[in-house]
Amino acid sequence: MDNNRQGAKASYVALVFFIGLWMLVPSAVRRFNREAFAEFQAPALHLVGKGRDLARYWELKSRSPEELAAASRDLARINAALELKIHTLDDARKENVRLRELLRYPSSTEFVTLVARVSVRETSSWWQRIIIRKGRSDGVVPGCPVVFGDRVIGRVSIVHLTTSEVDLVTSPSFRCTAFLEGDEQNNVVHVSGGAGLSLTAPRALVSIIPVEYNPPAGQIAKVMTTGLGGVFPAHLTLGTLESGVHSTAEKHLQEGVLTPAKELNFIQEVSVLIPKYPTAGEILLTPADNSKPEEFR
Amino acid sequence: MSLSWAWFFLVLATFPWLLGVDLLSDALATSGVCLFVSGAAIIAPCRRLRRWQAVLFAACVGFLFEALRPIPDGSLALLLVGAAIYLTAHRDEIRDMPKMFWAAVLVNGLACTTWFVAAGLAHLKQVPLFSLHFLGQWLVHLLLATIMAVLLLVPLTLVQNFAMDKVGVPQPDEAT
Repeated sequence: MDNNRQGAKASYVALVFFIGLWMLVPSAVRRFNREAFAEFQAPALHLVGKGRDLARYWELKSRSPEELAAASRDLARINAALELKIHTLDDARKENVRLRELLRYPSSTEFVTLVARVSVRETSSWWQRIIIRKGRSDGVVPGCPVVFGDRVIGRVSIVHLTTSEVDLVTSPSFRCTAFLEGDEQNNVVHVSGGAGLSLTAPRALVSIIPVEYNPPAGQIAKVMTTGLGGVFPAHLTLGTLESGVHSTAEKHLQEGVLTPAKELNFIQEVSVLIPKYPTAGEILLTPADNSKPEEFR
Repeated sequence: MSLSWAWFFLVLATFPWLLGVDLLSDALATSGVCLFVSGAAIIAPCRRLRRWQAVLFAACVGFLFEALRPIPDGSLALLLVGAAIYLTAHRDEIRDMPKMFWAAVLVNGLACTTWFVAAGLAHLKQVPLFSLHFLGQWLVHLLLATIMAVLLLVPLTLVQNFAMDKVGVPQPDEAT
C-alpha cells in the first residue's frame, strides 16, 4: 500500500508537469486532440441521426394511404405555386444581374444550399448548439449561415470531417446585425445570444434600438438580417420581439428579447448556406504567395 | 487479448453510456440542461485497472466530453486524471458499493463544477461569478450530475466490470 501511495505522489508530480506542458503546447496540438476525439464520436452521431431517420420513416410508413394521398395532393399544390414563384424570381434575378452589371455594382454574396440533418442538440447555460451530419468533406466551412426556409437557425462554428457544430441564434457566441420591422429609417440593431437560464426557453438579446423606434401597432415586430458583412443574406427572419422593447438603464437606447424564429430545439433538418466565392476576409487570410499576380512578384 | 489495451476496450464499452446520456440531454434540450456522467464513469475502472491505464481511461472520458462542447481544452480531462490518480492510490475507499456511490457523487459533482465554471469563465461579463444566475445554474447542473451518478453507477459498473472480466483485468483485491 505504501508503495502504491508513493507511486501516486510521483503521478501527481507528473500530472502537474503535464498540466504545465499542456498550457505551453501550441494551440494546434490541443486543436488536433479535440478534433481526434470529435472524429472518434462522429460515426456514432451519424448512427444516431440515421436511426432517427429510420424511426421517422417507419412512422410515416404506418400512416394510412388516404392520409398520404391527402399530403401528396397538398404538396403538389404547394409545388405548383412555388414553381410559378421561381419563374417570377428568376426574371427578377436576371434583371437584377443586368442592372448591377450596368452600374458596375458589386454583386452580393451568392450561396450554395446544402441540406443537412440534425444529429444531436447540445444545450447548457453556456451554449446552445446542434451537430449536423455534414462537414468539411461536403464543403462546409466555419462561419456558414444555417437556415430553415427563410428563418435563421445559427452559424457553423466548428467543422469536422463529416459533422459540423452549429451555434444557434440564442447561443452566447452568436452575433449578428439586424433590421426591425416597422423601422422606416432602417436603423441597424445588434442581435446577440446570451447565457441562458436552465429550465426556461432560450432567448437572444436585441440591443442598440433607437429610442424613436416603436413596434408596429397590433402585431409582433420581426427582426430580420441586414445582409451587411456578407455572412447572412439580407431579409432572413431571425425572430420576433414578442415582449416588445424597453429602455436601457441609461435611457438613450432600447433593447428587447428576441424569440427565435423556429423552435430551435425541435428542428430536424437545416440548410447550410455555403458562399460560392470566398469573402474579402478569407481572401485576406489566404497565403499571399499563391494568389499574387505575376507582375507583383 | 493484450492487457495493456484494457483501458481502450473499456473506453469502447463506456462510450455508448456517455452517448446515451448525451441523447438524454438532447431529449431535454428545451430545458437547457446538460446531463453529465463522465465523473461517475471512472469509478469502477479505478478499482481494477493499473494506475497508468486508469489515467489514460479518465483522460479519454474527459476529452470525449470536451470534444463537442465549448469547454477550455483539458480542463475536465485533467481533473478526471487527477481523480483517477487519487482513486487508484486509495482503492480501499471505493472497495464496497456504498463507498463507490459516495465516490461517484463526489467525482461527478466535482467534474461537473469544473466544466461548468471553466465554460462560464468566458461569459463573466454577462454573468458574474458570484451572481444568483451563475450559482443557480451551477446548482441545477450539480443536482442533475448527482442524480445521474446515483442512477447510472450500478448499470455502468456492471457493464464496465463485464468488459474488464472479458479482457482479463484482475479483480480489485489483486490489483495494485
